[in-house]
Amino acid sequence: MLTIDHVCKTFGTHTVLRDVCLQIDRGCVLGLAGPSGEGKSTLLRCIQGLETVDSGSITCAGRVGFMFQDFQLFPHMSVLENVLYAPLLRAKGKIAQKTCMEKGEELLKHLDMWGLRNRYPQQLSGGQKQRVALARSLVLNPDLLLCDEPTSGLDVAMLSDVVALLHSLREEHTTMAIASHDLSFLVQISDRIIILRRGCIAADIGPERFGDLPQLASSLFG
Amino acid sequence: MGIAVKFIDACFFIGSGLSVTFFLLLGGLVIGLTLGIILAVLRYKNIGRQLIARYISILRGTPMLLQLSLIYFAIPTLLGLQLSVLTAGIFAFGLNSSAYMAEIFRAGIESTPQGQFEAAKVLGISSLHTWKDIILPQVFRAIFPALTGEVIALLKETALIATIGGADLMRKSQVLAAEYFTYFTPLCIAGLYYYAIVLFVENLSRKLERRLDRAHH
Ligand SMILES: Nc1ncnc2c1ncn2[C@@H]1O[C@H](COP(=O)(O)OP(=O)(O)O)[C@@H](O)[C@H]1O
Ligand SMILES: [Mg+2]
Repeated sequence: MLTIDHVCKTFGTHTVLRDVCLQIDRGCVLGLAGPSGEGKSTLLRCIQGLETVDSGSITCAGRVGFMFQDFQLFPHMSVLENVLYAPLLRAKGKIAQKTCMEKGEELLKHLDMWGLRNRYPQQLSGGQKQRVALARSLVLNPDLLLCDEPTSGLDVAMLSDVVALLHSLREEHTTMAIASHDLSFLVQISDRIIILRRGCIAADIGPERFGDLPQLASSLFG
Repeated sequence: MGIAVKFIDACFFIGSGLSVTFFLLLGGLVIGLTLGIILAVLRYKNIGRQLIARYISILRGTPMLLQLSLIYFAIPTLLGLQLSVLTAGIFAFGLNSSAYMAEIFRAGIESTPQGQFEAAKVLGISSLHTWKDIILPQVFRAIFPALTGEVIALLKETALIATIGGADLMRKSQVLAAEYFTYFTPLCIAGLYYYAIVLFVENLSRKLERRLDRAHH
């Protein structure tokens, strides 16, 4: 699905990613762990093409969707407009437009946001904004969905919502890479977790070793 | 009775300059807005950056009266084409205003979060649609008060057309003043007209602003 081959990324003199190699298989939910400042966002942004890599290559078979940490909804558009604007631009002809409106409606209903479709982002809670951002990404049928810190700014009650939401995506075999500094959250939703430290992959572990994670993290980061 | 009739006549006479004033205001606004947006976007995209910066700096750094005279008197002798007073006026006010508009739009664009550009990019939205539907509507809302200020400034500048013989509010009041050897009343009447337009523009702007806000909430 995704192959990252010896990728390096530097900002000025500050090397954020050094020689990162990684493969993600179709249907896999990859957790990207590490304290803040270790390059999780930068890696996701490189995959999406928001940053250019200095060396190495990233190849992805299919469309990539991106969920920003602060969602970046369009403030002057309603919930429905936020979701449908991009797909409607692409839809040529009446039938294609109808299909994408139906898809948007289905997604918003599934995410329990259809009733709020005419609201504007400022009138939504953090969790609701996140659902809109998710619908906006999913309506374009991404083959790989990148989520940057999906739990930041959410309270505990909403946290379990996000976990449930991401679980339901996993059931549908959506391939995802999720960056978070919250290990206990990643353990709940990932098939595989990698830990970034000083721009390198310091650990790459499957569910059978998730139990060792807290120890591993404290030995890595002190 | 006689004085009252004279006063009303004077109001009508000066008011006949309204059309010229409006014409200059609207024409200048159309050119100023269009060119201002284009310049601000180009400058943001780093296209012709230095040239645009110089253009803005020169137009803001020289007297409006000089620019108007240059376009009306000098261009015909240099290029051999005669511009009417109104055409010269629209171009002079439009170009001058475009420099101020470009600066206003630049501030607005720079205050738009980088994430909005990135969100559009991630969703595969073309550059044209990103500007037209994502960035500029937000910029408009943010700079609306500054834009209103520029419209009012432009309105007041149009009075300079009187110096090259344009028959606007200002010119009409001067004609009347010369005819009756009295300045006070004609100038006050012209002033009231200008101020009434300003109040109208401010009122309209407040209404539009509320409408934009409703679209945001
Ligand atoms: N655009 C940028 N310019 C300069 N430095 C940056 C930029 N983006 C990120 N960085 C730096 O790269 C490092 C990693 O940042 P980031 O990828 O956001 O980490 P994380 O998401 O793990 O918290 C940080 O030290 C940050 O300051
Ligand atoms: Mg981050």
